[in-house]
Amino acid sequence: MRVGLKTLHITVEKLAKAYGLLWALRDLTFDLKPGDLVALLGPNGAGKTTLLRILAGLATPTSGSVHLDGAMLLRASTALRTQVGFLAPGDHLYENLTARENLNFFTSLYGRKNNFDAIDQALRAVNLTDRAGEYVANLSSGMKCRLSIAKWQLLQPGVLLLDEPYGVLDGSGVDLLENFLQGQCAAGRIVIVASHHVSRVLKMASRALILDQGRLTFDEVKREPWPNFDKAFREFLPHGETWRS
Amino acid sequence: MALLRETYLLLWKDLLLELRRRDSLLTMFFFGTLLLFVFHFSFDPAPEKVAAMAPALLWLAFLFTGTLGLAQLFHSERENHCLDALLLSPLDRGALFLAKSCFNLVLMVVVEIVVIPLFWILFNLSSWNLLPQLFLVTLLGTIGFCVLGTITSAITLRARARELLLPLVLFPLMIPVILATIRCMENVLRTGEFGDAIPWLRLLIGFDVIFLTVGVLIFDWVIES
Repeated sequence: MRVGLKTLHITVEKLAKAYGLLWALRDLTFDLKPGDLVALLGPNGAGKTTLLRILAGLATPTSGSVHLDGAMLLRASTALRTQVGFLAPGDHLYENLTARENLNFFTSLYGRKNNFDAIDQALRAVNLTDRAGEYVANLSSGMKCRLSIAKWQLLQPGVLLLDEPYGVLDGSGVDLLENFLQGQCAAGRIVIVASHHVSRVLKMASRALILDQGRLTFDEVKREPWPNFDKAFREFLPHGETWRS
Repeated sequence: MALLRETYLLLWKDLLLELRRRDSLLTMFFFGTLLLFVFHFSFDPAPEKVAAMAPALLWLAFLFTGTLGLAQLFHSERENHCLDALLLSPLDRGALFLAKSCFNLVLMVVVEIVVIPLFWILFNLSSWNLLPQLFLVTLLGTIGFCVLGTITSAITLRARARELLLPLVLFPLMIPVILATIRCMENVLRTGEFGDAIPWLRLLIGFDVIFLTVGVLIFDWVIES
């Protein structure tokens, strides 16, 4: 099912998620508009991955709602729901398929015509042309992350969620990722990056959300200087460090 | 058409992965033949008695080997959270159900093609002319096993002790299929035709059709909940 490229709005209202007696998310409310590149920050266990999984439709909230272009995410049409992409380094790739076979499989699954030139081009863009015929199991973590970037470059989702993408990438990989994400936002798509690499992610982000113990403690558009952010984020940094360091 | 295209795509992927790893098929094959040898060395009755016991013994072997295959059914999807990647895609969940059922069916049929003639050889049975009918009944029973097995495998997918839970959930539900298959096979071996077993054959076909339809319709809920 081919879905036309479009810009989307996300509205999150009073979102909460509990695992048993533990509240992973509590009372989150925010809006995201086309072109937003959001840095999702917070300490370990703050609820970042849970929030990303709910936004992707992979987990159901305990209460509250996520609306995608006015339609409730869990009841939205398949075409709308599949406008959300999720990039988690090393995940969502079949280990015993080659890099090219993975791209071929997922593009076919999304109803894209098997365009081998486009796949070759995507592999070239992430510097994996010479590893295209290798099983994903034999690729390094950084290469797997590059392959995931190639995958989403081909699938072009309206909303792209990334869970800690920086940890496994080398310098050129980071450049590649940031160029890709900035390109996505320039095309009016929403990008949310959950990361502990604060200075990196804030360099390109247009807005920051901070989660702490499941609550949204900070939500502002980026500005320079940014005293509110400095104040809000200081307590999550190692002693004596600033996020710019 | 989209359902069939997606089923084919997923089945191709599963078969390709199995051809490369061969873990499910080899395990099932060796376990199936091992059970036959255990049966052979445990008791050595007269051929006419074995003919009466053959359906039950064969289905015992198929149930255990099939359960081994079912335990591995979503292995490639558990690896690297690939199930999430499938759930993010526009894939019809019914196609996932059909592809997994067909994949398990292919593995079991390959094992059965080896195990049934081997049983005849080991127990020195002479009724080779009845094998086509027995294969037909076995195929219908195997379809029921794979269809129900795929549903229960998906239900237990996120359970902590899924390998233990799977047979506990599956085997009671399989009783009608096992009963119908064994009755049909007994009748064929005794009389050379389906004869009195026609109602059991109908039950078997009905079971397959109903659970195949139910699986396609409910798999969305099963896999996402």
